[in-house]
Amino acid sequence: MKLSAKSRYALEAMVYLAACAPQQNVCIRQVATGTGITESYLEQIFFRLRKAGLLTAIRGAGGGFYPGRPPEEISAGDIVRAMEDEISPVGCVHDPSSCKNQRAECCQTRGLWVELTEEIYRQLDSQTLASLKERFLAAQEQETEAKQ
Amino acid sequence: MKISTRGRYGLRAMLDLAGHSGTEPLSLAEIARMEHLSYGYLEGLFAALKKAGLVTGSAGVRGGYRLTRPPEQITARMVLEALEKDLSITEEEPCPERPVSTFLDREVWGPVNAAVLRILETATLQDLIKSEKSGSCHHGQ
Repeated sequence: MKLSAKSRYALEAMVYLAACAPQQNVCIRQVATGTGITESYLEQIFFRLRKAGLLTAIRGAGGGFYPGRPPEEISAGDIVRAMEDEISPVGCVHDPSSCKNQRAECCQTRGLWVELTEEIYRQLDSQTLASLKERFLAAQEQETEAKQ
Repeated sequence: MKISTRGRYGLRAMLDLAGHSGTEPLSLAEIARMEHLSYGYLEGLFAALKKAGLVTGSAGVRGGYRLTRPPEQITARMVLEALEKDLSITEEEPCPERPVSTFLDREVWGPVNAAVLRILETATLQDLIKSEKSGSCHHGQ
């Protein structure tokens, strides 16, 4: 039971961008260097993030990528939703008619799948990009201090 | 993130065993009929469940399977771990030295995976049977 790698990379790229912005205009190559994700893969991810309004691109000299709205208003859940068609572990959570046995109403297991899905969303929605950025920068700082 | 058909059908088959009140074991043919699954497919699932020590089989005309312990002592996690490769919602990270990735594993994906496992290990077969009975289920429809 897996999220796609896209979700993982998208969150990684967004935290990286948020950590750089607004002081820096970040281009796709910098994100690639900073995160280790290939440029071509980032292009696919950025396309989806822009479509979902989570990422803005400013063209021209001094242009670059920015979070599409204030990082306080973007959650990890928003980013994952932009990448996945659905994140429920079993199709019947979203679409009870997808059950081959046509017994969603009296299925003993559907409640468990619904609970799992809600918990995953709840966890991801409680993490804002702003908070992740702050914690990431703090962790980086601590690490640098520890090395010195 | 997906739970495979093995995990989904396996859990339902375990609930069929848990809810089976007869003195004789439940045959795969009977489970196949109830769950609209093929006998061969169920054989594969039950081989894994047996290996995990969750069911025991008996041969013969009235042969079949039963649970090795009471339904309140078998959790959804035990059943799914017997049938699924891995229950974490993220893939193993190929290059763990990436700083943002390491941070997110610790702060986001780790807690999500832990929450998923917590739910699965607190849900026993007995709980799942009960939750259905309190719902609006009408058997035989």
